[in-house]
Amino acid sequence: MSAGDGFDRDFALGDLVAPRDAAELCAAAAALLGVPVGLLDAAGVPFADGAAPSPAAARAPLVLELEPVGYLAADCPPDALARVARLLRWGLLSRARLRMVSDLHLEAVRADYVKLQQQNEALKASEAKYRELAANLDAKVREQTQLIDERQRQLYQAERLASIGQLAAGVAHEINNPLGFIGSNLAAAERYRGRLAALRDAVPAELWQQQDLDFVCEDFAELLRDTRAGVERIARIVRDLKGFSSVDQPEEQLVDLNAQLDALLAVVNGQKPAAVTIATDFQPLPPLMCLPGHLNQAFLAILQNALQAVEGGGTVTVRTRAAGETIFVSIRDDGPGIPAEVLPRVFDPFFTTRGVGAGTGLGLTVARDIILAHAGKVDIGCPLEGGTVVTVELPA
Amino acid sequence: MPEFERDAGRLTFKLVYYGPAQGGKTTNLMQLHELAGAQMKGELMTLETQNDRTLFFDLLPLGFRTAAGLTIRFRLFTVPGQVAHDGTRKAVLSRADGVVFVADSQRSQATNNGEAFQNLAENLGRVGLEIERLPLVVQFNKRDLPDILGEDEVRARYSGAPWPLLFAAAIDGRGVRETFAALLRAVWRRYADEFDLAGAHGLDEATFVAAAGGGAP
Repeated sequence: MSAGDGFDRDFALGDLVAPRDAAELCAAAAALLGVPVGLLDAAGVPFADGAAPSPAAARAPLVLELEPVGYLAADCPPDALARVARLLRWGLLSRARLRMVSDLHLEAVRADYVKLQQQNEALKASEAKYRELAANLDAKVREQTQLIDERQRQLYQAERLASIGQLAAGVAHEINNPLGFIGSNLAAAERYRGRLAALRDAVPAELWQQQDLDFVCEDFAELLRDTRAGVERIARIVRDLKGFSSVDQPEEQLVDLNAQLDALLAVVNGQKPAAVTIATDFQPLPPLMCLPGHLNQAFLAILQNALQAVEGGGTVTVRTRAAGETIFVSIRDDGPGIPAEVLPRVFDPFFTTRGVGAGTGLGLTVARDIILAHAGKVDIGCPLEGGTVVTVELPA
Repeated sequence: MPEFERDAGRLTFKLVYYGPAQGGKTTNLMQLHELAGAQMKGELMTLETQNDRTLFFDLLPLGFRTAAGLTIRFRLFTVPGQVAHDGTRKAVLSRADGVVFVADSQRSQATNNGEAFQNLAENLGRVGLEIERLPLVVQFNKRDLPDILGEDEVRARYSGAPWPLLFAAAIDGRGVRETFAALLRAVWRRYADEFDLAGAHGLDEATFVAAAGGGAP
């Protein structure tokens, strides 16, 4: 930074004396000394077009700090000239001091003003922030309340899911044990039936026929077969139930959504009315990182709605597709569809069209929460050809 | 950055005496005006004061002319020490080429010293000067008073600081010229190469310090 504009700059004669004042000063000095007096600048040139002194004139320097800022020149004794020069210097010095002090003062004031302005700006910014905060408080509170509601529902659902899972795990364990010995007992029973059949020749034919043992043997085998089929079915249901609640997998994991949906449909198949058909149209999907139990819950809620829509008879089609890194699952029913005025509200919490006790109005809400938590999207619509389609989009 | 006027053959250093209120900055300049053996010595210009306190600044011009014809000037300023005059202090400090920090040795003034030094560091930053690169010496003044910090104590406190540490009793001139000499040496080391003072102007550090008034008269 140059000192050129600071309070501490060097003053030249021109900074301290106006041309008009110079003429007056020279006249006053001339009156004091009785001879014409010239004022010269630092280079010795007559100041402000003043008269040039004679070459023989004496010179007295005007020194403010170390070096002359100018000279007085006159044809007179040097000591008399020096005295007048001291007088003039005193005046010049006073002006220089005044300039320095006022410039310094200005510089300080300007710096303070800049500082104040900066503080003012900062205050304004913070005021604006608070204003905005106050204006948005309502919206923010609503947003936060909604978020809390959502979290609560998720928590509620998660807890419910966890207790279902525990129950399922307990039931599965309890049922698996008797299933085990029923299975082995059945195997033994089949062997025993073979041995009983071998008694045919030993037993009197009359008695045999009287007890209709031919039929008994045959039917016994049939009964055992049916029983074994029943046991296997129970085992499968237990397995599906475990898979559905994902009690074994409480953490996020990579799953094949098709297999997941298969297990879910196996559970649902047992509950659906006979007049309803569930059709599937699966295509290979990329593995999906998810909470399988939660997603099952979401798809179950959607499926249940679809099944209810076709209660009297109809078809529910579950379709899976992959497009790049995105998985699409659509669940379509050919039921009566959803009235246009109801459609926008189906995801609202506690909104239900069913009678008291029949539905909580939380099924689809929770389904949407879960899908959003998986960074996915869910959309519901009623195409022109009838029915309802729920489309779920999940990033793999 | 020293101001170099090639046409006028003049190099001007601005040196600032900084420190807490009533620490003896003006007294330093008054004594230096008496003691400095500088080739050129101007009058001490004292601007407005109020009850012995500097309101604006004091200015002492010193200088010398080198054999090669260069005029080297030093303009020594003091700042007002009171907290309230921070704007003025900052304006005086701007464009400084070297600083003497005049601390008050009295035990009761330790906090004021600390705050004033903190203020110096902050203001240097505000006027765009780097404390790491600026020639700076620290003077502990008022060694003549009772109840002052011992020299060992002061040295221990400043042992981690890179700046020369001097002790003075400016009221009777003790340590004043030595402090100025220490600052001149720091100034020489910082700027001599930049202005080729040794090569083009035939100077060396001792000559520079002595001619500027830092040597014995």
